[in-house]
Amino acid sequence: MKIKGQQTLTTPREQVWEALLDPGVLARALPGCQALDPVGENHYKIRMKLALAAVQGLFEGKILLQDVQPPNNYKLHIEGAGKVGFVNGEGHFHLEKLSDVETVVHYEGDVRIGGMIASVGQRLMDMTSKMMIRKFFVSLKEILSEQ
Amino acid sequence: MIAASFDYSAPETLADALRVLSDDPEAKILAGGQSLIPIMKLRLSIPSQVVDLGGIIDLHAIAEEEGIIRIGSMTTHEQVEHSELLSEKCPLLVAAASGIGDVQVRNRGTIGGSVAHADPAADYPAALQALDAKVKVVSSAGEKIIPIDEFIVDALTTALEPDEIITEIHVPTESTGIGTAYETIVQPASGYAIVGVAARIGLSEGNISFARVGITGVGSKAYRALAVEKALEGQPAKDDTYGIASRVAAEGVEALEDLHASSEYRAHLATVFTCRAIAAAAGRAQ
Amino acid sequence: MATTTTPTTKGFVGKRVRRTEDPRLITGTATYVDDVTRPGMLYAAVLRSPYASARISSISIEKAASLPGVSAVYTGEDVKAVGPVPCAGSMPTLRVPHHKILAQDRVYYVGHPVAAVVAIDRYVAQDAVDQIEVEYEPTECVADPEKALESDAVRVHPEYDDNVAFTFHAEGGDTDAAFAAADVVVSERVTVPRLAPSPMETRGVVAEYDEGTEELLVYSSTQIPHLLKTQLAVQLSLPENHVRVIAPEVGGGFGSKCNVWAEEALTCFAAMDLKQPIKWIENRRESINVVAHGRGHVDHLEMAASKDGTITALRFKILQDIGGHHQLLTPIIPTLAVIMIPGLYKIKNFTADLTGVFTNLPPTDLYRGAGRPEATYVLERVVDKLADKLEMDPAELRLKNFPAADEFPFETATGLSYDSGDYAKAFNIALENVGYDSFLKKQEKARSKGRLLGLGISTYGEVCAFGPSPALPAGGWESATVRVEATGKVTVMSGASPHGQGGETAYSQLAADALGVPMEDVVVIHGDTGKVHWGVGTFGSRGTAIGGTAVHLALEDIVAKGKKYAAHILNASLDSIQFNQGIFSSNEVEEKLTFQELALEAAVAQKLPPDTEPGLSATRFFEPPNFAFPFGAHICTVEVDGDTGQVEILRYIAVDDIGNVINPMLVDGQLHGGVAQGLGPAFLEEVVFSEDGQLLTGTFMDYAIPKAKDMPWIESERTVTPSPVNPLGAKGVGEAGTIGSLPAFVNAVVDALSHMGVEHIDIPMTPQKVWNLINERSQS
Ligand SMILES: Cc1cc2nc3c(=O)[nH]c(=O)nc-3n(C[C@H](O)[C@H](O)[C@H](O)COP(=O)(O)OP(=O)(O)OC[C@H]3O[C@@H](n4cnc5c(N)ncnc54)[C@H](O)[C@@H]3O)c2cc1C
Repeated sequence: MKIKGQQTLTTPREQVWEALLDPGVLARALPGCQALDPVGENHYKIRMKLALAAVQGLFEGKILLQDVQPPNNYKLHIEGAGKVGFVNGEGHFHLEKLSDVETVVHYEGDVRIGGMIASVGQRLMDMTSKMMIRKFFVSLKEILSEQ
Repeated sequence: MIAASFDYSAPETLADALRVLSDDPEAKILAGGQSLIPIMKLRLSIPSQVVDLGGIIDLHAIAEEEGIIRIGSMTTHEQVEHSELLSEKCPLLVAAASGIGDVQVRNRGTIGGSVAHADPAADYPAALQALDAKVKVVSSAGEKIIPIDEFIVDALTTALEPDEIITEIHVPTESTGIGTAYETIVQPASGYAIVGVAARIGLSEGNISFARVGITGVGSKAYRALAVEKALEGQPAKDDTYGIASRVAAEGVEALEDLHASSEYRAHLATVFTCRAIAAAAGRAQ
Repeated sequence: MATTTTPTTKGFVGKRVRRTEDPRLITGTATYVDDVTRPGMLYAAVLRSPYASARISSISIEKAASLPGVSAVYTGEDVKAVGPVPCAGSMPTLRVPHHKILAQDRVYYVGHPVAAVVAIDRYVAQDAVDQIEVEYEPTECVADPEKALESDAVRVHPEYDDNVAFTFHAEGGDTDAAFAAADVVVSERVTVPRLAPSPMETRGVVAEYDEGTEELLVYSSTQIPHLLKTQLAVQLSLPENHVRVIAPEVGGGFGSKCNVWAEEALTCFAAMDLKQPIKWIENRRESINVVAHGRGHVDHLEMAASKDGTITALRFKILQDIGGHHQLLTPIIPTLAVIMIPGLYKIKNFTADLTGVFTNLPPTDLYRGAGRPEATYVLERVVDKLADKLEMDPAELRLKNFPAADEFPFETATGLSYDSGDYAKAFNIALENVGYDSFLKKQEKARSKGRLLGLGISTYGEVCAFGPSPALPAGGWESATVRVEATGKVTVMSGASPHGQGGETAYSQLAADALGVPMEDVVVIHGDTGKVHWGVGTFGSRGTAIGGTAVHLALEDIVAKGKKYAAHILNASLDSIQFNQGIFSSNEVEEKLTFQELALEAAVAQKLPPDTEPGLSATRFFEPPNFAFPFGAHICTVEVDGDTGQVEILRYIAVDDIGNVINPMLVDGQLHGGVAQGLGPAFLEEVVFSEDGQLLTGTFMDYAIPKAKDMPWIESERTVTPSPVNPLGAKGVGEAGTIGSLPAFVNAVVDALSHMGVEHIDIPMTPQKVWNLINERSQS
């Protein structure tokens, strides 16, 4: 599943960059994230509980940040698996400076879903991923506005 | 396809049901079970307890009071489909109910369950949007009446708290002179709408005096097509008007994509079925 | 060659007799596998791979095994000694990768069985499955048969140097010369997606091992209990006479239960290991995922013809998606497409090249029609294209290329001998019924108003009533025993294994007519290797033509022996004995003998004729000299909604010739169901996998099987050309509707859009696909 989009944040680019690479911020902004523990440089272990209406699933996996080029680009690699299936994906993030106080986050990626959730949840995949991205940015904006 | 084990309770009063919910945060309400049981059987949902609302008689009634029809949340799709009161006073809801799934699903599925589940392709929400419906929600702390647009927040996401129960759906008695229609193209496997459009059109001297259009299936939640409504109001009731107004049916909406329909096709269908629903509703308004 | 008898109009044969099976089926008193319970029975559940291709680095079963109520957890290591899942293919180039009943160190497709649990009930079994911890090392996979053939494709089975499972070449005449001399050449490439057979009853097994008698009793929802018995004996190293297989009520198969499944041996293995009866019932998700999918083809057909419309040659290329393993008949199925590629037409030259390709997907195998729908589909598409190219009426073009009624038996370039037929007659009736000429006028008018009407023709032939033993991987005969009880009641035992078709009714009709007894006096027993000693099974539209003929022959023996008794008892000459409507008589004496009186005489044996053994029973085998070849014409008219791409079927006309008919109601049922399973792939059905081999249509919420409301009214008629290859004159009807209907649907929709320049639409013709085509054309 291909994912592509952009979000404009009223925050300076450096600040957005720091937030996006800050495990504490990610842990709060990633929907359902229960734990995000560093295991090396740009390498984290993650536990997420995804809850969508009556559907719930616990996923454990890892997040890797690659090709980190502050404050412009990085690649995010995510792998997670649970009883109900697994999710793998890569995403490119590009931060564009719109003005001193505005930043556009461009994201583009490919998510691969497998196991049971892939075979029963086809209908809901697209909307779920879109919703999670929406939620992520809503939380991110909240966190940034607190700072 | 074998659910994990769970406790089951079937309270006979709303108060008892609310008590169970506040005692056990992992409990899940069971209405018709047409959405909940399949996900439990896949073990995508493992509630500690299932609270069956079937025994609470009060939740099954349909009654009219001062221009408002109160539909108990446990009213099945079949009961809505065959309600004399609704077919006379709120035919749009009847049209939406009769298109849901198949007979077996309609015999068990409920309006409260459908609204609580908030499937972006469910049929009711289009009609409820067009009807400016409200959702009555009760918890141990009291009750709230929430407009449908605020109640359904996003795909499969509502404003409902885990300890709250939907008790009623409120829809207006249809005014005279207003025609309604529900037009849909269904996903052939599930029966859910790929696109469903509910329209309510009022005419006055050949012009459109009132327009409400609710669209399901296209975006991550059903929405009112305000731009379409605006483009209709005050315009002459003729095919050209409908065609032009329908073009903006999916404007500003990020159309969903799945195996059965690309986002481009969905957005296109939204315009086609909006036009058809408006034309049919206007035809009935005359 | 046997002689042909036309069914009597008296009696039951030829009449719409109600199904004798139905009372127990519709009152819920029938016994399916899941209704079987045995004392102390345990339940099995299977853990399946979530990956299309992976190495298994470790499996930890401790948590699962320690759950209360769990009796055993098995992994590949535990079942190593069980023999492989059999494959009956035998072409010289065939590669048969090892296929153990549980994955060993690798998985080859999503759904590949990895481990199994046996527990006190289904719930605990499933809980335990969830507790098995498998560490997979996912490897690159290939989930598309065309990509799998590319030179740099990852190999599904690393032990082979490419993904070719086998190749098969056939030819007749001089194809190259015919193409060189052709006035016109047309071609088409079609894809025929994988289909999930989706019988109403999923698979299921109950196995019980008796330590005292050392007998393994197996209930399985199968179409081939006798073959399964032999195979289980081999896989489990048991003497075959210690294995008894019962196919109780079977809720549909469509070919998917004409197989020998890993889960069958697995359940038996566990029952023997634990010395307790074990039940395994497949769930619907497993059924859609792993029950061998039908089709899975990419077909390319090139057709050469002369200006006058004479089709002279075919070049046929088939790519068969095998999946990760072979099942019983996987490599054989597409060869049926090869032999039927000329269809009903007199085409003297052909070449066919078939390539089977391994992919990281579940296995494919037979599904209603098996190879013949694919062939008919591509052929009928290309015939329409030829008509277009020649600017010739597609009906006229077809009529021009049929063999005439007096040309039978008709030898095809593919080496078949079509038994009998009058193709033009059936087709002309269909054209008449649809009002061909007036529809064309209506279509013209509608088009001028922007409406999109279309008419699709399919004239189809099929090879069925499998079949002469030398032409099959195993015996093609069928057996039957008729036993007359002392009271005159009749027990028919058939080696065929009907599973929804109504075979019991048909055999009862035959017996009741032959012996002059009421149908209620006949009991038909089938699907139990302990009661019916020999059998092949029910598949390939053989239940009546082969199974029914064996019954018919045994009934003839009963009558012959009965006449001997009667002559002796009545004191008349054997030649003078008449047997009519249950009465033995002779013009030499007044006295008569009813069938029931005679049955008693045969049993008590007080007046035994000399040289005659007591009892009245007969066992016969029928080995057909040839296949039978049903045929027909299906015509469909449609209207396409140009705004949405939705297709409305206006009319559906079917004229079929399946030879003599024993019960028209059963035949209608088979045809209607068959058409539904052609409509499915035409408009709705497709098992979809992602590029990573993940199944995306794992439930009926995404996999669309046709429902009653999707079906058109079928205007059905029949011509009757008895088959000379069996004494019943029957051809077979199980698959005809599926084979004949698909091209009619597709040709109709293509026809509706043809004036826009649309030449082909790949199936399933979803509204979105149809709309995309319309949209593209109207924009350009
Ligand atoms: C084969 C099939 C086809 C279908 N096709 C369609 C279709 O075409 N169109 C369509 O609109 N729908 C369709 N549905 C869904 C159907 O309408 C469901 O009935 C509905 O979505 C849920 O209602 P329910 O009463 O079955 O709720 P349940 O499944 O019992 O519950 C669903 C969710 O709502 C919660 N809930 C239920 N009642 C309440 C309440 N009173 N207060 C608070 N929470 C509550 C439950 O806890 C659960 O989370 C289909 C379902 C199936 C199985």
